[in-house]
Amino acid sequence: MNLQKTRYFICALTWACCVPAWAQTPFTDVTEQAGIAHVFHVYEGTFGGGATVFDIDNDGFEDLFITGGTGDDALYLNQGDGSFRNIYEDSGLTLTRGFVTQGVVSADVDRDGYRDLFITTINTTTGAEEIPRAKNLLFLNNRGDLTFRDATTDYGLEDLNSFSTGPSFGDANADGYPDLFVGNYFKNFEGKLGVIKDATIVSANQTAEPYLLINKGGSTFEPANEKYGIGHKGFGFGGVFTDFDNDGDQDLLVNQDFGYKAVPNFLYENRYPDDSYLDVSEAKEMDLKINAMGAAVGDIDNNGLMDYYVTNIKFNLLMVNQGREQPFADEAKQRGTNNFAISWGANFADFDLDGDLDLYVSNGDLNPNCVPMGNFYFENNEGYFTEKGREKGVNDYGIGRGSIVFDMENDGDLDILVVNQQAVLEYPVPSSTRLFRNDSAQGHWLKIALKGLQAEPNGIGSRVTVVSGGQRMIREIDGGGSSHLSQNSVIAHFGLGKHTGVDSVIVTWTGGKKQYLLNPKVDTLLTIEEIPDEKTDGIWWVLAVLGVLGITGALYLRQRKKGKSRA
Amino acid sequence: MKWLLLNRPGYWLLFLCTLTLGCSRDPGPPMTDGDVALEWARMTTYITQYTPSNSPTFASRAFGYIGLCMYESVVNAYPAYNSMAGQLSGLEALPKPREGQAYHWVLSMNAAQASILKQIYLQTSDENKARVDSLEQAVYRKFSDTLDTAVASRSVAYGRQVADAIFQWSKTDGGHRGYLRNFDKQMVHPEFPGSWKPPLFAQSFSHHPLHPHWGKNRTFVRANRELPTPGMLPYDTVPGSPYYQQFVQVYEKERELTQAEKEAAIWWGDDPDVSFTPPGHSYYIATLAMESKRPPLIKIAETYAKTGMAVADAFIKCWEWKYHFFSERPNTFIPRFIDPEWESFWPDPPFPAFPSGHAIQAAAAATVLEDSLGEAFAFTDRAHEGRERDEVRDTDFVIRSFDSFWEAARETADSRFYGGIHTPQDNEVGLAEGVKVAKNILQLKWKKS
Repeated sequence: MNLQKTRYFICALTWACCVPAWAQTPFTDVTEQAGIAHVFHVYEGTFGGGATVFDIDNDGFEDLFITGGTGDDALYLNQGDGSFRNIYEDSGLTLTRGFVTQGVVSADVDRDGYRDLFITTINTTTGAEEIPRAKNLLFLNNRGDLTFRDATTDYGLEDLNSFSTGPSFGDANADGYPDLFVGNYFKNFEGKLGVIKDATIVSANQTAEPYLLINKGGSTFEPANEKYGIGHKGFGFGGVFTDFDNDGDQDLLVNQDFGYKAVPNFLYENRYPDDSYLDVSEAKEMDLKINAMGAAVGDIDNNGLMDYYVTNIKFNLLMVNQGREQPFADEAKQRGTNNFAISWGANFADFDLDGDLDLYVSNGDLNPNCVPMGNFYFENNEGYFTEKGREKGVNDYGIGRGSIVFDMENDGDLDILVVNQQAVLEYPVPSSTRLFRNDSAQGHWLKIALKGLQAEPNGIGSRVTVVSGGQRMIREIDGGGSSHLSQNSVIAHFGLGKHTGVDSVIVTWTGGKKQYLLNPKVDTLLTIEEIPDEKTDGIWWVLAVLGVLGITGALYLRQRKKGKSRA
Repeated sequence: MKWLLLNRPGYWLLFLCTLTLGCSRDPGPPMTDGDVALEWARMTTYITQYTPSNSPTFASRAFGYIGLCMYESVVNAYPAYNSMAGQLSGLEALPKPREGQAYHWVLSMNAAQASILKQIYLQTSDENKARVDSLEQAVYRKFSDTLDTAVASRSVAYGRQVADAIFQWSKTDGGHRGYLRNFDKQMVHPEFPGSWKPPLFAQSFSHHPLHPHWGKNRTFVRANRELPTPGMLPYDTVPGSPYYQQFVQVYEKERELTQAEKEAAIWWGDDPDVSFTPPGHSYYIATLAMESKRPPLIKIAETYAKTGMAVADAFIKCWEWKYHFFSERPNTFIPRFIDPEWESFWPDPPFPAFPSGHAIQAAAAATVLEDSLGEAFAFTDRAHEGRERDEVRDTDFVIRSFDSFWEAARETADSRFYGGIHTPQDNEVGLAEGVKVAKNILQLKWKKS
């Protein structure tokens, strides 16, 4: 046995010891029994893939789209019995076979009540491109009939040739139409490349601008970097819309690879109602000069401020929000999340329903480098974490990338799906996408789905606060990017522990409008429909003011006339 | 970019010349033959820096051909000097000037430098090519003003012939358009104890090593192809063993780095993405020496030819040995056997460690420069003056002064040790082999005996 094989044997043995088949773990790997058979195939290496959770047909069971890279993507219909059926072949999505897909997010782009798909790509699969670039793909949902139609050209995305990584939906201008932020890694090209000179090839690996694409009334996307002041170029892994300063609008946290060499991470503060972002990265000390791959978003200590766990090569950063006037502080070491790995996806979720956010982290080597590294599960105890991946049965050793959380069987606890890459070289353990069912969570819970009437129909860009047992727990509705190339469920999930009641639910709709609900039932899914503003058209205000002015003027003139006649 | 161009005294001169020439026939301030040579050397380092996807390997090769081309375009004006045709690997002949015809050698050099730069750096931007054209035209106007048109045309044509011949020869060395093959994505990395692993704290996004076949390229000098492979300490993970101790030294140095050592580490980093690369630094030092000593044109051209070919052959041999040993970096060994949380001060470049490329090329350049100009030469290196502070490493770019070429070469090598990316043996062997490479360049028959 040569040395390499010996090494693999030891790794395999370690892995086998780590996950004893007979052990009863809180999570159960149900991948095969649930009918999930997926692996992400890399293009040359490293990049991709991701998954999104969305309910294709509004039947109440959340479905999955998972990118396949150079292999087939998958569209898994949740059959409601704990199993999924891949309906990709008949879904109208098969033109994605022509592309090396990377990340995916979903929102109701045209506000017709059904979730649409946006898929990032880095190349076509034809092999025709001398420089790997391709357009990203937008598919509109055919009103829940389980099929989609390609709307890339109709929405003005045809000519944006890019090496795109992480997409996110959000609502930058709070108009209720979901906008897009797309991370790009290598230089973008607009339109067809034509004859390619050596100069074009050598410039191709330079840094790229991201795309901020503003949704114009549900009919097209308009590039808006300049207008909004998003001016950086870097090796982008995407971003996440999030309200770090609690002012009711969507700020933007941007992850950059090679931050110590190209540009670092960014934190852009939304200046809503102005259409602009302000770069506050340095002031907030979020200009992280690391290999930032993704970020989990959550309030780890229920203090009402969103914290960010930023994944990296070697050691991840836990950026704790110190409040409006203070910079963020990396407390990974103090709070117990400073474990060595190469990390990508990360998800805050209350897996054990005890009222605080635990953390799942998807790890994987750079591929073709193929050293197995188990995924992390950090259990939260009053804001401090303990790694329990092995104990919980989720320390998968596949080559992990995007990870998502959702309630696959609507039993009130959150399950995990992690997208794994197929190893380019020999690999000692299996590496394919895994689904971990949460089987042991005990405690009460509440799930809240938002129905936006003026806000995005799924509440993307809004946040929900639950007050229970003296705690305030906040969740942002994920439009994607709170992980790596992926999007979690848009249904806000709260663990309540032993508390059988909730004092109040506060919805902060995008833009800052608040809506309250008192004493809802628990252990159920609650749907909150937005109470729309009573809009008064501006013209009526103008007419009213003019009317008042007119009457006042007339009275004045009449008085003067009377005065003169008396004189 | 324009600012950088104009920030250098020579470019100011040229800018003023161009302005005045554009407005009238006033030839502007006088320019010596040597000034022209130095302007082309500066243009060469400029193009090196501002051409994307450049690498120390490709850049070293470019300096070899561009320096040699400068020499060959003027050598026939100096009866005491020999052409390199017939002396270099595969270069049997070069165009000769017509007997009995007059030539203006500065115009030949001018045309040759412009031509070879644009051909070797085929991949540079149109904007950069326009800069090259602009310099060529400015020099042409300046020197052809009072010259017989036929002589001027003949001189330009000859310069271009020399450049074309050198470029045609260059195409068969294995490095032509090498920037299209920086990383061999099909390469299967050898796996053995002590083998190189793609860096986690990386200077490049590639997980494949740079130019794995570069070591097979044709050397300029045949004798360099024959240089024997140096010895390397055997792999050993036992504390106290010579191999282990190499990494202990790196580890301990990183923990006690002085600010001066940090400044040296970032100064010599010469990352190809933001600078003129390590061999460019050597070409720049040659320019500093020429500016100071102001030797005759043939001596300037000879110095650039020797420096360029020395760094080019040094990189070929270095890469031959790097891929022969395929050895690990401290960032692989130290976290595994000494301290799991250790990380180098400077990020890892994307290629194996032994021997150090910085060391070998710096030693090769210093050796030829010492030969041309003597051991004692005091100079101030301002290569990165004015660069923005390195915030990641909390260190400024501080100009450096040296009393000899070798002192600078020594610091070049040491800087990689301070950076935590090379062991002492990588550097010592690099320096020693660089001297050997250079001596073979010096052994060529440059002058008629």
